[in-house]
Amino acid sequence: MRREKPKDPAKMALPMTPMIDCVFNLLIFFLLTPSFSATEGYLTTNLPTTSGPVAGKQQIKVDRIKVELMDEGEHGESVSIIFAESENLGSNFELLRQALEARRNSGIAPNMPVLISPTMRCRHKWVVKAFDQCVLARFTEIHFAVPYE
Amino acid sequence: MRLKKPERTGVVSINMTPMIDCVFNLLIFFVLTAQFVKLEIEDVVLPISTTAEFKDYTEYKNIIINIVNPDNPQIVVFGQVRTPLELTEQLKQFRGDSSSESTNVILRADADIPYEDVARVMLSTGAAEIRGWWITAEREKTEKKS
Repeated sequence: MRREKPKDPAKMALPMTPMIDCVFNLLIFFLLTPSFSATEGYLTTNLPTTSGPVAGKQQIKVDRIKVELMDEGEHGESVSIIFAESENLGSNFELLRQALEARRNSGIAPNMPVLISPTMRCRHKWVVKAFDQCVLARFTEIHFAVPYE
Repeated sequence: MRLKKPERTGVVSINMTPMIDCVFNLLIFFVLTAQFVKLEIEDVVLPISTTAEFKDYTEYKNIIINIVNPDNPQIVVFGQVRTPLELTEQLKQFRGDSSSESTNVILRADADIPYEDVARVMLSTGAAEIRGWWITAEREKTEKKS
């Protein structure tokens, strides 16, 4: 059976311009949206397991490495690190990482608790930085000291 | 058998108007959804971290707690300022019957907030028997050493 060809194929063309406009708008939107959140990440940890009225008051009495962060300056703009209640590392977080790594290399298990104990005026960024060093030194049990109420 | 040819109805064209309507509706929907998510998140200067990882937190039951304004720190949850006591109550309600392991607090604190205020939120979280404690940080781009 012989089919008849359409006489005027040019008239069947779709108007592509508005569709491309929309597609480009969507493309730009989806390209820009994830870029805002991709710069953020999470440091995950757990709070003490004690529940009920004594929550947050648990003291770690087992062997642990204590990292104290003392605020320095009038408004706590600097920090001083005391490692294992004996070594003053100044404000050098690289030294903290080295000290933690030295402990790890001496045969300490990665699940040995590390207790970060900042002073009340110590800034959040220093606490995060100390946490970073513990993770870089491959410690897995990192805790924060919380004051009694 | 001879088939009857369909009658010619003129130019074949697809009506673009409803498609554009749909696309714009979708666009408006996504823009508005993004706004809803933003309600939970306050503008804070996050601390910088080299080990912070992106995680799909939608797998857990989460609540985002913001601590804003280092000069006069305030705890903000869902756009509302909370005292530590109010926060504890809100966290207890939020947790409900869920186990303490399946619930997370996501902390978004300004880099210059004193630890005292972070500790207050920790105590409220502990009092609500929530264990998961995620600290939000800006991921530092590290250059790979070759």
